[in-house]
Parts: sequence; structure tokens; C-alpha cells
Amino acid sequence: MKKNRRMIQLVIFLGVLLLGGYAIGHSIFAAKDGQLPRKGSKPPEFALLGTDGKTHRLSDYKGKALVINFWGTYCPGCVTETPDLVAQYKKHNGEPLEIVGINLGEDSMAVNNFVKQYDINYTILRNEANDVQRKYGLRSYPTTFFVKPDGTIMDVFVGAMAEKDMDERITKLLKS
Amino acid sequence: MLAFENTKCECGHQNPVGTVLCESCGYPLEIGEQENDAPLEMRYDGIARRSQKSNPNVIDRVWNFFSSVKVAIRLIIITLLAAMIGTIFTQENAFISFDPSTYYEERYGWIGKWYYKLGFSNTYESWWFILLLVMIGTSLVICSLDRVLPLYRALNKQQIRKHSQFLTRQKTVYTGPIEGAEEAWTSSIGAQLKRKHYRVHQDGSALLAEKYRFSRWGPYINHIGLIVFLLAVLLRSLPGWAMDNYVTVAEGSTVQIPDTKYYIKNEKFTIDYYTDAELPKELKGTSRAKLYETRAVLYTCSADCDDPSKQPQLTEVNRHNIVVNDPLSYKGLKAYQFGFDDTPKLKAVNPVLIDHKTGKTYGPFNLVMKDPQLTYNLGPYTLELKQTYMDFALDAEGKPTTKSREPNAPAFVFVIKGPDLAADGEPYMYFPKQNDKVRFSQDMINGELAKRFEIKVPSMTGVEFAPVETSLNIRTDRAMPYIWFGAAISMIGLIMGSYWQHRRIWLRIDDGEVTLGAHTNKNNYGMRAEVASALRGIGVVVEPKLLDNGRNKS
Repeated sequence: MKKNRRMIQLVIFLGVLLLGGYAIGHSIFAAKDGQLPRKGSKPPEFALLGTDGKTHRLSDYKGKALVINFWGTYCPGCVTETPDLVAQYKKHNGEPLEIVGINLGEDSMAVNNFVKQYDINYTILRNEANDVQRKYGLRSYPTTFFVKPDGTIMDVFVGAMAEKDMDERITKLLKS
Repeated sequence: MLAFENTKCECGHQNPVGTVLCESCGYPLEIGEQENDAPLEMRYDGIARRSQKSNPNVIDRVWNFFSSVKVAIRLIIITLLAAMIGTIFTQENAFISFDPSTYYEERYGWIGKWYYKLGFSNTYESWWFILLLVMIGTSLVICSLDRVLPLYRALNKQQIRKHSQFLTRQKTVYTGPIEGAEEAWTSSIGAQLKRKHYRVHQDGSALLAEKYRFSRWGPYINHIGLIVFLLAVLLRSLPGWAMDNYVTVAEGSTVQIPDTKYYIKNEKFTIDYYTDAELPKELKGTSRAKLYETRAVLYTCSADCDDPSKQPQLTEVNRHNIVVNDPLSYKGLKAYQFGFDDTPKLKAVNPVLIDHKTGKTYGPFNLVMKDPQLTYNLGPYTLELKQTYMDFALDAEGKPTTKSREPNAPAFVFVIKGPDLAADGEPYMYFPKQNDKVRFSQDMINGELAKRFEIKVPSMTGVEFAPVETSLNIRTDRAMPYIWFGAAISMIGLIMGSYWQHRRIWLRIDDGEVTLGAHTNKNNYGMRAEVASALRGIGVVVEPKLLDNGRNKS
């Protein structure tokens, strides 16, 4: 009888810890709509058409250090940081680093002209439906996500990056 | 604290630690209680709570914390206060996109700033609010379990002959001499009580009559309902169980509902306004909507759903004319009319190319804002589109740029090739909107070429606007049936506990003198009336008022 009672107590506490822990953990860690995915969480999956005409998925970049840059030709900060991104990609050529620029809802001509104008050497994806930026909880442009090879976010940078900001983070990313 | 308490009653029954009234005879056990003559504390029949122990360890202490009704009430009050505060300002989840870190301060000043800092801007989804709910849930389970099991046992094996002090210290008491044989008197009042639907148990000259015991389980059934309710709410946080999304669909287009395999098409959006004749005097001349309707078709996607290089394969599963409060509904997915946008947005223009030198007009050609064609052949001339700006402006360095992707001030850069022009063509900038053309001085930009060529839209019929957009609120809530189920159980428990009362009458006859005590958990007035009526049935006339033990006001 006594043993039984202790068992019931333990079972109830275990249940509370599991269910309660799940509920609280969910409220803390789940990235909600309109919120940036946090450091340490996994960025949402996407499948987008690249300027190369192929479909690119987030999962394609597994195992590599990844920089996801959201940009538009109408956003001055995006334009100023583009040459630095190009330089970084060149500098780390041959290393396991990928840079993906996700364009925010512009048409192919605007994107293609921009790619040509700035000699962009990294992957540019188009997102005409603008759903990916919503999934990523973007509030302003540019916003850049640094994703470690294990698929978790190392850092999120909101606003235009100076060369130093970019260099520091990419170096750290390649070491992780 | 409870360690040295003597729990053995004078009737010889050994009671568990924490017992208030002897489990067997009902004699008060607490020190100093025996000399008192106030009505007894009958809560839970004076039983010990399950968790009351003499040597509590850590688990027992946590258990005891949650087992306390005082703690439960405090938790509920804190939760209610937090929930109230959460209703003061609009919560974060009511906005589709905004920045809460500045919004609250800008809108409400320092109160808003602290409101946000203290986490009330997202009260109902915050970790601490969920923690409070989890604690209330735990307390609900433990409080109930700790009381219902001993109570069940106590009510299941009730002693018929109670201590006389137990009887005289009830709220309804009658004492008086009896006539005739003790057992016969007891039986006859038993018969009276049976007619009042009591279950009567007799032990010689002692009697216990009881009815509506089930109402005692009402609160516990209510609690089970609440637990089911809370668990159902928890289910909603599982992926796929609850969704609250918004989609904007232009007339004629089909969009994917985020995170689902469904696509929704807006075949036609209608907005109807009341005519002035239909409106009351005060509202005449204002536009009052009579109907917003989206003719929607729902599709499921069977293949190529998330591959943008292929067309998704869609199968129609449902269609419905969505109006306010009449959503499209399919397998738990609901699409509600939420809003619309009918501000005119430029979709395409059909301009002509005029050669002022010859006076000839070529075209018109169709120039769409989104993904335009790149070359246009017009008579001897070829227009090659080189650049577009949807919202033309000049940046800090004076270079052309676009402020947004909306066609607010579209501009197109063409290279015109043809006779009497440079071999690789000459650039010509075209602003379809007349006011932009003036504002950005199109003719000055184009210089000499402006004198020779003009691209213009000959009439308003050459302008196409984007179709009206409807916005739909897409919701699924698979936990809803469970929430209703929990609510129903909770309601049943509430009704059981509220509309019936557990009534018990004990009596014993000692030396020709009857002592009768009666207990109910509410409505003592009705209890006394019933006792008086039963006594009258065997010829004892007593005013119900006089049965009142007098030491309380109920």
C-alpha cells in the first residue's frame, strides 16, 4: 500500500515534468511567426529557384558553413554589403563555405541585372512569394543568418554589415 | 508538528495522522476540540488527507505544497491577475508583422515600455504563464487525488452509531424523549426518511439516512474535465494540431497555404456596398459594406509541391463562397474572410511608340510590371528592356534605385535599335505614370532621343490594374473536440455539485432520549425542513427553525 502510494506520486510527478517541461520548453524555444529564429535553433527549410534555374534547398547545404543573406535591390544596406560578400566568397574559395542570397520578391530582370552589375559569384535565389522571409521572421533588410555545419544558427545579423562584421563571423563559422 | 499527535480515538479506533474527526465514531480528535461545543468542521468528513505524514521527505514536501488548497487558490489568483493584465494592451500575436521592442513604447509611452519589458505583451504564450498553468494543473490533480480517495473510503464504510458529541455538534440537531420501543421508533422514522428518497441504514436504535452522495464527486469530476481541457490546450502546441495563418490571394490566382499541402484559389472576390436608399439617414453617403465574398477553391497538392522549378499537381477537394462568419471548411481546416485590398495597383500598360520624325505610331505593346518580356518588335524598331525600377528614386549618390518592389513609380530602361540609330542602340527611359514622367523629368533624361521618340499610353484603356486581393485567415484546431469534451465533463461535475446536496441524518437513542444530527454541505434550511417534516410524520411536531443549532447563521 505504502509502496503503491509512492509509485503514484512518482508517476504523477514524472507526468507533470514531462508534459509541463514540454509546454514550457515549447513556449521558450519555439520560434513563433514574426520572430527571428534564435541562435542555436535550426533555420526553417526552404526550396527556392536559383538564378541558375535549379531548385535549391536548405538541406542541400548540410555539413557546410552557410551564410543566408536576405536582400533586395531596393534596400540600400543590401547593396552596400554585396561587394563584401562577393569578396568573402572569393577569399574562402575551396573552403566548405556557401553563401546564399535570397532575393525578396523582385522579378528576374531586377535580380539578373544586379547579379551582373556586382559580379555576384555566390548563389542567388528568388522568392517571389515572399514566404521564406515570413518563415524567417524578417522585420528589416538586410538580415543575415550564419549557420554552422551542424545546421544550427550561430548568429543573426540585422542591418548592413561592415566588412569586419562579416569577416569575424565567417572566420568563426569556419572554425566551428 | 504532527509527530506527537495521539490519533487513537476513545472508541478504540486507530486513525491516521491528520484526522480531525474519528473515522469510526466521529468524535473530535484535535486537542481542545472535545471541550468545545461549536458545530464541527465537517469538511471532507474530518478525514486525514492522503499526504499528511509524520516524517515528510522532499517528495512529500513538494506533494504537500501542491496538495494545499490555499496554494491552489493563490496560483489561480496570480494567473487571473496576469490574464487580466494581458488584456490591457494588444498582444503581440495579434499583429502580422511589427517590432514589439519599439511598438509598445511608441504607442503607450513608459507604461508600454514596462509592459513589454515585464513580458505582458505576450502573456498567454510566455513561459511563466504556461508554468502557472502547469502548476495549477498539478495542484488540481494532487489536491483531488489527496482528498477524493480517503473521502471515498470514509463514505463507503460509515459507522451507523456515532458519538453523541458528533451528533449534537452538527448544524441541525434535535434531542427529545421518545415514546414506545426504541427500535420501533427508529424504524418508523426510517420509513419516513425512505419516503424522502433517503437510503436508510439501521443498527438497533441507531440510524443513518443518506441521499445524493454522488454530488460529493461533482468537484472531482469537474477537475477531471479541467485536466482534459488543459491537456487538450497542450495538444495544440504539437506540430500540425493548431494553425493560425493569413494568406493574401489576388483574384484569379492560387497560392499555397503555408506549412500545408493545400492550395487555395480566389476565383472571384466581390464587395458590395449598401445603396443610400438602404442606409438610415445618419449613414447616407458613407460606404457601408453589405457583402465581402471570396469564391474560393481548395486544392490538395499530390506532387511537386515544394519544388519551385515545377508546377505543383493540384486536385480540387472543396469549393465554397466564403463570406464573413461562413468559412470554407475541409477536414478541420477553415478559411475565414479576413480582409481585402482593392487599392488600384498597376499591373500592365499598353503603350505605343511614336516616331515624331515620320509621325508614325507603332504598337501598342503589352508591358507588364512583373517579369516583363525583354524584347519588343515595333515596325522597324526593336525595344530591348534593360532595367526596371518598380519604385523609382535616386539614392544618396544620385544613382537610380528602387525604394520598394511595389509598382508605385515604375520606370523602364529600354535600348531602342533601328534605322538611323547607333548600331548597339540608344537608351530610352520610360515612366508609365504621367506624374512620374514630370517629376523625374523623363524628357531631360532622354535628351535628344526624346525629341524623336515618345512612348506613351494613348488612352486609359491601355492601363491594366492588378485584381483585387482578398486576405483569408486560415485556421485549423484539431484539439477543439477534446476541449469541448473536457468542458462538457467539467460542466457535468459542476452541475452535480451545485444542484444536488449530500444530506445525511444520524440518530441514536440512549435511555429513551433521541439525539439526532443532520449534515448537508449546503442549504441547511432545506435540511432542517426535511428533518422537521420527517419528525412530523411520526407525530413529533417541531418548528424547523428550532432545529438550528444556533451557533451559526446559515
